[in-house]
Formats: sequence, structure tokens, C-alpha cells
Amino acid sequence: MKMKRRKLLVEPPTMAAPDIAFILIVFFLVCASVQPETGRKQDIPRSEKSEEPSEQSKNVEVSLSAQSILVDGAIVPSEQLEKKMRQLLAGKESESDRVVIVKSSDETPYQLWIDATTRIEKAGGIITLQLEQEQRVMVN
Amino acid sequence: MGDIAFLLLIFFVILARAVDDSHLQWEPANAEEVEQAGASRASVVIDGDSRLHLNGKEIPSDQLSSALEALLGSTPPGKRTVLLKVDHEVTAKFFEPAIEAISMAGGDLVHILEYEGEAPR
Repeated sequence: MKMKRRKLLVEPPTMAAPDIAFILIVFFLVCASVQPETGRKQDIPRSEKSEEPSEQSKNVEVSLSAQSILVDGAIVPSEQLEKKMRQLLAGKESESDRVVIVKSSDETPYQLWIDATTRIEKAGGIITLQLEQEQRVMVN
Repeated sequence: MGDIAFLLLIFFVILARAVDDSHLQWEPANAEEVEQAGASRASVVIDGDSRLHLNGKEIPSDQLSSALEALLGSTPPGKRTVLLKVDHEVTAKFFEPAIEAISMAGGDLVHILEYEGEAPR
């Protein structure tokens, strides 16, 4: 038995094709541009460059390198850093006492730095960076 | 009419791409906790080759602080957000001076990170 195919009564107007394409482009652009970015805020106090090294600091010092994390000179595994910092910062109420000086060696990767500073901040520390200053000495 | 609108749209898309940083190649570091970054005044990117960019344009690191100061101008505190997008393998030699420059310019620093549960980009 032969089936008869019914013809469409209304054909889509070809004149509307550019308008449809335009609307589609706008739709995809809006979709692409609304990708929310996620991250973490960090308050870093403005650094002050001092000519002379200050007298013995009471603040905790954390030294980061690609291989190890040192807290006041002692090696601390990264997973114990938060606990160690909580112990050291316990009883320190004022913001100036909770300042933690972070020194990083040149080869410290960003991922390790983020992990360490996140743990310090979770423990209540306030991060301050200590950058190594380049010194040039002219020799005649 | 449709054709003109289409060409205008393409023109503005290209213009916008010159300002944004979506063409730069970097993989974000992971974090256990992240929050929405929100609107920002500037975006600083250090790509996988440790090159520094401000709003999509490469910039020498010693000029970053002054360029940010000019961008932020007299924007009130709380609206001086600067996004810092650093490739997870970039070393402190390159990202610490950028953090310092943002701090010196009075920017509110937000590290752009990826939630640890997600696959890297």
C-alpha cells in the first residue's frame, strides 16, 4: 500500500535566516561570557622596605621551598601546618601578633604557596610576604 | 540590516577579546574552599610561560604597580578588586612580585582558583 506524504502548508521564510543566525550568535556569546570565576580573597598588608634588619621579631616565620615547609626553622609536614600554626598563634589576640612572615624561595610553586597560605589563614594568621631584595654592589 | 548587525557584532567581539584575557593559557591552582570572585577592576595573569599580563596585555613586572594604580584611580575601598590568575606551576620568583605590586597599588587581591573536586581546565 502506498502512503501519501502530506505537504507542509507553510515553508519557513528564507529572509529570516540571518536574523535567526544573529540571535543564535548572541545566545552563545552570552552563554560563553557568563562563566563565574571562583577564588579566594587575601589581605596582604602593604610591605615596608626597611634598610636595617629589625630587632628580633616575635612573629612566626614560615619558609617555603619546593621541597619543604619550615616554621621558625623546624620542618613541618604540609598536612600538619594548620595544627602547628594554631598552637603557635594560640593566645595571640592582637593583629600584629598574628602576623605570619612568609618567605618563599624562588622555585616555590604557586600550588604549594596557595596550600600553605590557606592553612596559615585558616589557623588565624595574617600573611605578610618577605621578598628577597636584590643588592647590586659596584666594584671598580 | 541583519548583515550590518552581524558585522557590528563581530567587530565588537574582536574588540572585546583584545581587552580580556581568555586567550591566555594558564591552569589554575586547586583549593578546598573557593568563593565567587565577583566583579573586578583589573585582571593580572601569569601564564604557563611565566609571562605577566594586565587585562590581557603583556606588561613588565616593574610597571605593574603603577599601571594598576592608574587603573584603580580613586575607586573606593571594597571595589578595588584585582583578580590574580597564576598558572599552578609558576614559581615564587614570578608571582610574589605581582602580589606585592597589587598590594602596593591598594588593590583587593583575589586569587582565582579551582575547586579541588573539578577536573583541571
